[in-house]
Amino acid sequence: MDFSFTEEQKKRRQEYYKVCAQLEKDKPHGFSGLESTYDTEAGFKYHLHCAREFAGRGWLSLAWPAEYGGTGNMMDRVLFAEARGYHDIPGVDIFGVQMLAPTLLACASEEIKGEFLPMIATGEVQFCELWSEPNAGSDLADLTSTAIRQGDDFIVNGQKIWTTGAHFAHWGFGVFKTAPQGKKHHNMSFILFDMKKPGVTIRPIKYMNDFHIYNEVFFDNLRVPAKIVGQENEGWAVVNVLAGFERSGIDEIMRMQKEMENAVKYCNETKVDGVPLAKDPLVRNRLAQIAGEIEAARCLAYRVADLQNRNEMTLMDASAVKVFTSDVAERFASLMTDILGPYGQVKFSRWAPMEGWWERMYQEHFVLSISMGTNEIQKNIMAWYGLGLPRMR
Amino acid sequence: MDLKLTEEQEMLKTSVKDFIAAECPKAKVREMEEDKIGHSPELWKKMAALGWMGLLIPEKYEGMGLSFQDGMVVMEEMGRNILPGPFMSTLVATFAIMEAGSEAQKKEFLPKIARGELKLSLADMEPNGRFGAGGVTLKAVPRGDGFVLNGAKMFVEMANVADYLVCPARTRESSNPEEGISIFLVDAKSPGIHCEVVPTIAMDKLCEVRFENVAVPHHNLLGERDKGWTVIRNTLRKAALARCADSIGGMQACIDMTVAYMKERIQYERPIGAFQAIQHIVADAWIAMQTARYLTYEAIWLESGGQPADKEASMAKACVNNAYKFVSKWGIRLHGGIGTSREHDISLYYRRAKAADTAYGGADYHNELVADKIGLVK
Repeated sequence: MDFSFTEEQKKRRQEYYKVCAQLEKDKPHGFSGLESTYDTEAGFKYHLHCAREFAGRGWLSLAWPAEYGGTGNMMDRVLFAEARGYHDIPGVDIFGVQMLAPTLLACASEEIKGEFLPMIATGEVQFCELWSEPNAGSDLADLTSTAIRQGDDFIVNGQKIWTTGAHFAHWGFGVFKTAPQGKKHHNMSFILFDMKKPGVTIRPIKYMNDFHIYNEVFFDNLRVPAKIVGQENEGWAVVNVLAGFERSGIDEIMRMQKEMENAVKYCNETKVDGVPLAKDPLVRNRLAQIAGEIEAARCLAYRVADLQNRNEMTLMDASAVKVFTSDVAERFASLMTDILGPYGQVKFSRWAPMEGWWERMYQEHFVLSISMGTNEIQKNIMAWYGLGLPRMR
Repeated sequence: MDLKLTEEQEMLKTSVKDFIAAECPKAKVREMEEDKIGHSPELWKKMAALGWMGLLIPEKYEGMGLSFQDGMVVMEEMGRNILPGPFMSTLVATFAIMEAGSEAQKKEFLPKIARGELKLSLADMEPNGRFGAGGVTLKAVPRGDGFVLNGAKMFVEMANVADYLVCPARTRESSNPEEGISIFLVDAKSPGIHCEVVPTIAMDKLCEVRFENVAVPHHNLLGERDKGWTVIRNTLRKAALARCADSIGGMQACIDMTVAYMKERIQYERPIGAFQAIQHIVADAWIAMQTARYLTYEAIWLESGGQPADKEASMAKACVNNAYKFVSKWGIRLHGGIGTSREHDISLYYRRAKAADTAYGGADYHNELVADKIGLVK
């Protein structure tokens, strides 16, 4: 059992960190996290700037097979994610690059791969994931939006919700009912289409902190060429493949690691009655507890990455790391806003300690526990498929 | 990055698991709990025949020369089954000899330990119940060609059967408690030693050992005089990691037992495992176990490779302390009433989880060490 990296991997990791450290200098003031990517034009521009830098180095197609331009393997993706997480750098479209590309490689025809993979690798094209609907969240299979064939086209009707970044997306991928009379789980297709066509209406849904991340997307007789991933009407199977590419979450974990370093610095420098916060036993104990949890999450993330690298993925470990990391993020935000006292509620402004990061995280941590399958759904999956416990019917 | 066990480690794991299951079923575990002495010479002999006491002892001293990582595999299985007796206490005390012993001392002690001819205990804690150097108050005063020890040690695991105690004592007063500590190999049959088994939750034979003018010859001073704390700290770190490995095995046993029960216990016309509330609890328990497991594995990998591991070891011990208590507690609750009975196995683990919690440092003690390591000013 070996937690170390090879000399070659260490060299590559250094390179990823170096480029990300460089890009950090171009970061707009106050930019942080996925949410900043989509909230403003300036934020999105910075994301594209980083994407171009990564695309130029072939880093958006790292773990792809060589014949599609891939130059590395799963571990490279993990090391690259570490560097991005630590320096809090965007530039990797979570939807196109992290979710869609591996799914296409696993399920799509050569024609579809040929059309979309090069596009994704350039970093110039943004994707959005058309997933949940107002009446189909956790129970996605209960969706009602349709894509009805007309010759070589689909006519799309319906509504999607919580569509992150739809307002900047060029293309969308998602599941739609293509056989409305068919059996549940065998009546939908995983399709791709251009979001800039007439018939698509996007309406922002503001996050609780007034950030624009999500949207509602309405389809009104949208006509698009039929581009299907996998078999027609068997899109549910493709959804499950995509879910299996659950990230190890290492970027989120490394971001927390950097935040811990910032927190230590803050506590060392901030005095209460002449004494640094760092000397308060409660601060020491609680911060150390979180530091240990971040390290534990990192070790489990490596376990997941190691399994994925040898194609031995277990959903238990993937679900576990998702649940654990999101819980730690919530506890960390809770602790830091406690430590900051009344200043924990102050938004990014001249009064805000630590650039108001914790006021944001105190609200944004829900994205981690609720999206990508809620933690409660993850625990169901662990119980049913990991531990073999019976489903209640 | 390769987090699988090697083939050899898998084989070692299987052979240890099979042996322990056959030689130490739960009936024997309970027998040893109730037993005044808590040690089975027959079982000890069988283990010695397999060479287990020499697992981590270098081959030149008749040991197997395996790594800490290899040992971890064995310790996990022992924790999963529960293995009463002085195996772990001897292993822990031996770390100190391997680190600080002179060539003569190593030659004298290690082969005998490897053959199972000597049992040892590390007497690190005192009645003051403090972890850390400040807790060491047992006095060692030079007399003639040796030292005289006065004071007491507490919670010394299996001191009642030990042949030797590895004993940190204070040979010089200092404003810095980490200075002035020396380590002695004390013959447990020395005149002046009074050993009494303290009744504790896990019935694991933690002893009070009183020292009344106990004479120790100079050649049983281990390592440099006054400079013993570093060795003790390293020994306690390894001990903590060994206990973590044991606890991980215990957690796995709790999860396995609990999941099996949830599938077979029928209430309201279905297995109770169909109820989502408890499905989520057991998922939480699994997550607690698995995060503790991989953090421990990382710390043991560092230790095994001779890399600095103070921070990770303390993170692991704090994490495992909390996780084992959590998993074993819910193990009982998910069993309902039967989980609270002495007859059922699940509470064996709950009681051991409490003992493991305090051995070699509680969570708060280790979190304070972590606080220091992550750079919070003192």
